[in-house]
Amino acid sequence: MGTILIVAETQNGAIRETSYELVTLAQQIGGTVKSVVIGSGVGDLASEFAGKGGGETFVADDAGLSNYNVEGWNKAIRAAVDAAGADLVLISNTPLGWDVAPRVAAGLDAAFVSDCFDAKDEGGKVVCHRRVFNGKLDAQLTCNADKTVLTVQPGAKEPFSGSGDGSTSALSVDLSGVRAKFVETKQAESTGIDLTKADVVVSGGRGVGDPEKFPEVIQPLAEALGGAMGASRPVVDAGWLPHAHQVGSSGQVVTPKLYIACGISGAIQHLVGMKASNYIIAINKDADAPIFEVADLGVVADLFEVVPALTDAVKAAKG
Amino acid sequence: MKVMVCLKQVPHQDAKLDVNADGTWIQEDNIKFEINSYDTYALEEALRIKDADGDTEVVVVSIGPDRVTQALRTALGMGADRAVHVNDDEAVSSDSLGIAKVLAAVAKEEGPDLVFTGLMTDDGNWSAVPPMLAELMDVPSATGVLHTEGANGSLQVERELEGGAVEVVELPKPCLAAIQTGANQVRYASLKGIMQAKKKPIDVKSAGDLGVSGVGSAGAKVTIDKIAPPPKGDSAEILSGSTDEVVSGLVGKIKELGLL
Repeated sequence: MGTILIVAETQNGAIRETSYELVTLAQQIGGTVKSVVIGSGVGDLASEFAGKGGGETFVADDAGLSNYNVEGWNKAIRAAVDAAGADLVLISNTPLGWDVAPRVAAGLDAAFVSDCFDAKDEGGKVVCHRRVFNGKLDAQLTCNADKTVLTVQPGAKEPFSGSGDGSTSALSVDLSGVRAKFVETKQAESTGIDLTKADVVVSGGRGVGDPEKFPEVIQPLAEALGGAMGASRPVVDAGWLPHAHQVGSSGQVVTPKLYIACGISGAIQHLVGMKASNYIIAINKDADAPIFEVADLGVVADLFEVVPALTDAVKAAKG
Repeated sequence: MKVMVCLKQVPHQDAKLDVNADGTWIQEDNIKFEINSYDTYALEEALRIKDADGDTEVVVVSIGPDRVTQALRTALGMGADRAVHVNDDEAVSSDSLGIAKVLAAVAKEEGPDLVFTGLMTDDGNWSAVPPMLAELMDVPSATGVLHTEGANGSLQVERELEGGAVEVVELPKPCLAAIQTGANQVRYASLKGIMQAKKKPIDVKSAGDLGVSGVGSAGAKVTIDKIAPPPKGDSAEILSGSTDEVVSGLVGKIKELGLL
């Protein structure tokens, strides 16, 4: 695949683990691996990444890049593509990646595929896999352009943990003309609901159908099991439950001993937040719901029949 | 002020999805369609600007076949002023970059101060077109936007990060914001709105009318080879039987886990 450029991402003073996942994917695709690290005062991080699989690493180090800025990052990545002579650019599908990657692709007039979980080189063409229709179907795509930009689903590959030959070189980026301005980052407000500490999380999704059914049907099972109540994004978006209950990439990431998903189809952004649970039970009337792929035990039925009966049985078993 | 809202009509979220004969997309006959959920939040965000400032014009733009008229009528019924419908077989078959090129041509004609889109679509989940469109228009952009506020020729937005954190960014106009679901409470079209919508104009165009060439399936840089249900390799063990049998199986497992 010629040259592959990894756009490494820093967070809280370290290289994100997802960047090492990109190294694994780049090695799997095969080609000369080069990288770019963008920020202010990131020279040491770039050296570290270069020696841990990043290879020849360009460092766009500029006070104007101390906070993420879509136009600044776009310029830095474009400069790195030129400097590296990259044929393929890999970026993690994080809030940073999905913000900037399509701009890079459009500027390069490149092929672009988002949120891939696998990719390979087939006779010089990039062939990749991703999910469509909120996880319900799997798609195989082929890229037909001189350059290709992919964003890669976090967690799709094991992070590379080895070492390799690497070097760093400074990359200057002309930041004139940047209009977007970073103002501040606000952390989530503490709400007192910490789903991450519960042994059991019982979550409801769109299939619960009605905000009143959460206290009537979902909460009682959570309470009977001494656990907490969670929810999928559509429930929170509809205003049925506060954001503090949301499980998923934009809510809380939970790993309880038992996770029970009721009426949740299993969009990727929800699965990211619960798939590492020790044991997963899914109750959904759609046998094709993607939630069953990550569940250990499934029930294809109306949750309004199963959940209240299960609540009663749990209470009876506890005496 | 002019706000351009891009929206896509997609299969209804509860539609049964069957793969089409050549295995490259879904069977679109006999299923219900709706406005992409993310785009309804984008439209609502634009209509709120219009509510606050009556001089604002909201123009909705969609690319798609004849059925898209219904989605545009709904958007007009909700309060948009007029619609542009790019109804062109070639344009419809474009990949994300081709769609962005067509929308950029519409934006060039319209000259909006703000462009609002959804963060992604419920069909392809690509989340590609909005930043591409911003790049082609050469305007600043932000994705995953949960809140917008106008101030001094700029749009201040809050973008969603991970774990409930947000990033506040200031974008001088013209600019583009790709709106996340949950950003607002989306209104319904009122009966009066639906009646008024019948008189509002829908301007139908082709890619050629817009001076765009090289898009469509022939110009696509990404092609879908096949789509299929995900492999069921290590999916769940399914409990079946009566409700009593299922419940007793579940209780047995919960006991085994030491939680009862």
